[in-house]
Amino acid sequence: MSSLLGSVLEQTAPILLAALAAMVTLRANILNIAVEGMMLTAAFTAIAVGDATGSASLAFLAAIVASIGVSMLLAMVTLVFGADFIVAGLGLNLLAAGGTLFLLEMVYQNPGGLRPFTFPDIWHVPDDSLSFLPIIGKAIEGQSIVVLLAALAVPATFFFLYRTPTGSYLRAAGENEHAAQSAGIHVGRMKALAVAISGLLAGVAGAGLSMDRLHFFLPDMTSGRGFIGLAATLFGAGLPFGTAAASLVFGFFGALGDRLQVFSVPSQFVLMIPYVAAILALVFAKWRKRVQSRPASVVEASS
Amino acid sequence: MEALANLLRPLRAPLGAIALTLGLGFLLVAAINDQPVAAFRELLFANFDSLGNFALFLNRATPIALIALGVVFAFRAGFFNAGGEGQLYLGAMAATLTALALPGLPGFLLLPLTVLAGIAAGAAWGWIPAVLKVRLEVDEVVTTLMLNFVALLITSYIVNHVIRDTTTYGAISLMIPQSIWLPPMPGVPAASSAFLAALVLALVAWVVLFRTEWGAEIRAAGTNLRFADAVGIPAKQRVVGAMLVSGGFGGLAGALYVLGIGHRFEQNFSPSYGLVALTVALLARIHPIGALATALFYAMLLNGAAYMQIMTDVPRSLVNLITGLLVFLMTARLRPAARG
Repeated sequence: MSSLLGSVLEQTAPILLAALAAMVTLRANILNIAVEGMMLTAAFTAIAVGDATGSASLAFLAAIVASIGVSMLLAMVTLVFGADFIVAGLGLNLLAAGGTLFLLEMVYQNPGGLRPFTFPDIWHVPDDSLSFLPIIGKAIEGQSIVVLLAALAVPATFFFLYRTPTGSYLRAAGENEHAAQSAGIHVGRMKALAVAISGLLAGVAGAGLSMDRLHFFLPDMTSGRGFIGLAATLFGAGLPFGTAAASLVFGFFGALGDRLQVFSVPSQFVLMIPYVAAILALVFAKWRKRVQSRPASVVEASS
Repeated sequence: MEALANLLRPLRAPLGAIALTLGLGFLLVAAINDQPVAAFRELLFANFDSLGNFALFLNRATPIALIALGVVFAFRAGFFNAGGEGQLYLGAMAATLTALALPGLPGFLLLPLTVLAGIAAGAAWGWIPAVLKVRLEVDEVVTTLMLNFVALLITSYIVNHVIRDTTTYGAISLMIPQSIWLPPMPGVPAASSAFLAALVLALVAWVVLFRTEWGAEIRAAGTNLRFADAVGIPAKQRVVGAMLVSGGFGGLAGALYVLGIGHRFEQNFSPSYGLVALTVALLARIHPIGALATALFYAMLLNGAAYMQIMTDVPRSLVNLITGLLVFLMTARLRPAARG
């Protein structure tokens, strides 16, 4: 039980962070499909810097900086040069995948991946420190700081979006650009901020992916987690706690899929759940909106 | 003469993109290798060194060109079809299943049947997001992206558990009957004649889009759906129709791959052809003839990169890097009118 819960948490953390990254931009009316590329960049940077410096905290920091850098690149071509967010996001994902592979081949002479002999470990919750909590304690013991950061990011994004002036400006900019503009909000600045925050969250997600337990980088190691995060955001209707709940569900199915594979139950259908769920959630949301035709919109992905 | 000029005009945008790619690539190669000219010769011309290389080049260009043509149709109707990969996989799977289910049928019946099955599967996969978009305004980028993953998982299940060739290693299906293998291209024995289909269909796509009423209505729906609707064009139907065509192209690409090149379904047969085709269509400024030209150029780069790596140890991933950079840079000027 504890071990299943533990692996659920472990699977949920990167999805949740990616989902929150997509959520913040979605609230600024940006469909961010570049989360995948940001995560990949962060995952690579974490291993490369950790390998070179031997310092886990430096590696972690560098990963986040790299991811934010990528996000600023996205903000620049879209907000300054008027590129389409979707196309630029696709380009960025290609760039991240191609760029990391290129560096693997050029610098490390190994297109298969980067596996340092020794790698500094990030902080984990020590064993037996939470034994006073039944079940949950055992599940949290041994989890890395990334899992804790992911859990913290949920109330943090909630607080930011709903309890700070900047957060409400950001939401206003996303809901009605022109109205926000006439109210004196710098829409472009708010969108850039949203993209930067998504870079930060995606950076933590990517660093966790390569640094937590694995300690190596493989090309394409994000394997669609950025998109599952996007699915979770849409399933959670763009709300922090809804997104967290959806991520947890997807994390659960991810962990379940791993276990079912052991019993040779086809995992494909389990793995399909996030994507199908996201489509159904979108359809349901739009259908309900049409039926009730309420004026207040929750989240509009495209208009 | 004017018709020829009209046909050549769309080549300008891809030619610009190609020039930019080559410039960027040359700078990168020059920065990491002291023989940039030799490396570039491999990248661009090794495809034409032998008939075998040329055949591989054509085989690579075919699926990219076909999917890109589909993307052009969708885009012209204002629909961002990011689902080419899923449509490709389902088309290939449907064709394989049809061929394996009816092995007794004579080739001249089975061949068209498998192709049709592939087209139908791709079209069906394109129909879902189209209907969701016109009926409920569900964002098509999300649905097509998500449906890609669903399609990949469905086909992965089928190839692993239903039609897997258990005598070999890896997730590949049984062979389809040899009677329906596509004949080779005249003059290029190792190339599949499927490329001819891409060639013809590019012209057909151009005629349909720019010389028929149906095509004009599609473009009208893509330029301004509400206006088109208001002046009496069944715009929503045209969007769905364009997506049926678009998905059909993806499915056809899959079917022709199985019939002409793979002769069976392989789980990872596509090195994200769908994504490559999407960028090809965008770089060609959403024009069928331009898309064909850009697809050829891309196929040349993708294959040439391998030759370059062998000869000069410039890594082949350089091409992926340049592609990403190029899409990123080009988008700054390219705004699909249809979105938003």
